[in-house]
Amino acid sequence: MKWLVFAWKNVMRNRRRSLTAMLITAFGTAAVLASGGFALYTYESLEEMTARDSGHVVVAHSRGFDGDEDVPLQYGLADATGLAAKFAALPGVRAVAPRVQFSGLISNGDKSAVFVGSGVVPEIDFRLRGPQMSFSAGRPPATNAPAPEVVIGDELARLMKARVGTSLTLLATTTEGNLNAVDVVVSGIAGVGVPEIDKRLVLADLASVQRLLLSDKVGTLSIYLKETADTEAVAARVRGAQPDQAVKTWRDLAVFYQAVRALYNRIFGILGVIMICIVLFAMSNTLGMAVVERTREIGTLRAIGTLPGEVVRNFVFEGMVIGGAGAVAGMVLAGGATVALLFAGIDMPPPPGRSAGYPLFLSFSPLLYGAVTLVVITLAAAAAWMVSRHAANKPVTEALAHV
Amino acid sequence: MNANFPTVRLGALRKSYRVGESSVEALKGVSLEVGGGEMVALTGPSGSGKSTLLNLCGLIDTPDAGSRELCGTALDSLDELSLTRLRREKVGFIFQGFNLVPVMTVYDNVEYPLLLLGVAPAERRRRVTEALGRVGLESFALRLPDALSGGQRQRVAIARALIKAPALVIADEPTANLDSATARQIVDLLHELAHERNASVVVATHDERMSSHCDRVLHLIDGELQ
Repeated sequence: MKWLVFAWKNVMRNRRRSLTAMLITAFGTAAVLASGGFALYTYESLEEMTARDSGHVVVAHSRGFDGDEDVPLQYGLADATGLAAKFAALPGVRAVAPRVQFSGLISNGDKSAVFVGSGVVPEIDFRLRGPQMSFSAGRPPATNAPAPEVVIGDELARLMKARVGTSLTLLATTTEGNLNAVDVVVSGIAGVGVPEIDKRLVLADLASVQRLLLSDKVGTLSIYLKETADTEAVAARVRGAQPDQAVKTWRDLAVFYQAVRALYNRIFGILGVIMICIVLFAMSNTLGMAVVERTREIGTLRAIGTLPGEVVRNFVFEGMVIGGAGAVAGMVLAGGATVALLFAGIDMPPPPGRSAGYPLFLSFSPLLYGAVTLVVITLAAAAAWMVSRHAANKPVTEALAHV
Repeated sequence: MNANFPTVRLGALRKSYRVGESSVEALKGVSLEVGGGEMVALTGPSGSGKSTLLNLCGLIDTPDAGSRELCGTALDSLDELSLTRLRREKVGFIFQGFNLVPVMTVYDNVEYPLLLLGVAPAERRRRVTEALGRVGLESFALRLPDALSGGQRQRVAIARALIKAPALVIADEPTANLDSATARQIVDLLHELAHERNASVVVATHDERMSSHCDRVLHLIDGELQ
């Protein structure tokens, strides 16, 4: 304790210089925490978005994920209702959504376009999608409507000049390889914020799609969990229970998430290294000057019996005091920014390939804050060790003669 | 300390320094013994080798040749860490420029050698309080050195040097920066405390008041004892 008090007193010898080093450390720490918080928020948002889209755990036929079907639902799941009930009974499962992916042409009589569609159970699917899909008009398709209903993407609606209530025709290949068509009514127009998807998006009632494709199978069963953290555990249980079927997690299917995460990890990793270098240089400079100024004092302490390691230890404590104070100030800055952004209502511009921006928030992670603080204090201690060991090992007479 | 040995025994010490291309021989085979409780003054003109001899006595420099013993322990084969530990236990220093640590209070400066020795807090408190009382600075314990006069600072330095009851005290021109009245007080104090604690003192000085208080006065000229 006494040594820490001496360290604090020595730090306060040159207040302005120490304060400068503390501020540099504080801003460096805050920058790393803020960028780390932004990356975490992005990861969490993408996780939620991906899990809401695909489901946390997705079950398909053993070849259902291979993408080499000759006709739709060639590798579909039979007895979807029985399987869904079985999965729904697993602990931690919120809902099970059967789905059929299909594609074909959509026509308004005058004009046709390619669509990529999903057959879904509207009562389950639209509840689970949450804010990821925003309706600009209408509502989800009704299961028992007199005519089959669909939700189409807002870009597709523009292309088809369709509004709520407009009749369109879906043309698709059946499971037997023939073409089949069904007339549908637009019940809603929605978007997911990705123009490339929104200009092909069709969501229809599952039973209607099965009638169109002439099959009672489903393509996949998407299992939604109460907690994303349970994903691997539930996936393992499903794999154990259904060894003949393919089971993937949202992470396996989230190509975009993985790509963004890899990119952000690299960007913010480089930013972190730059900040670390700045903190290291600032600390080395401050403590290096202190060491030079106090060389004679080091000689005195060495003469009266202080070991070189003890001299270095004292400077390391000083580095830790500056680094620790800077890290705490940086945490306060980053924490303040995190809270302020909750109320500021600042939006980020739309990312490439998307039509909508997203709110700028920073995630708070005690683990991140703890790890960054530990790194900063360790760096400060390392800088102090580097700059003081030479002076501490200088011959005593030479140190005493230092001017 | 073993009473059969002198505190310091130096045998034919030689030390030279390189100055540019040439070599200057600071000590030319100096031999010296300082007994327990003895106070020895080193006098001589500037450049005569006083500081070099003090540094060798105080174990903060190493000779080119010759032998050294402190309290019967041969020093020739000891490494720097061992010498430092020996200084920590057995050698006290008093510098011309006081060399107090400016951010430490008077109390902390005097306590520092005991911290290095790992003395228990209660014992440290007792010894520091007593030492400050002996040098008349108990009421200045919480002041910083900058708030003291030169004479008071040198009293703190004396207290710091003697707090651990060292076998040897090295004093380099301890009165050089002081006015004559203060210098006299410092000389008296050092003499009194060193004798009281049976510490051997080797003091380099130009001050006759200082040397007149010493048991022996040694005159160094051109690196040789006269």
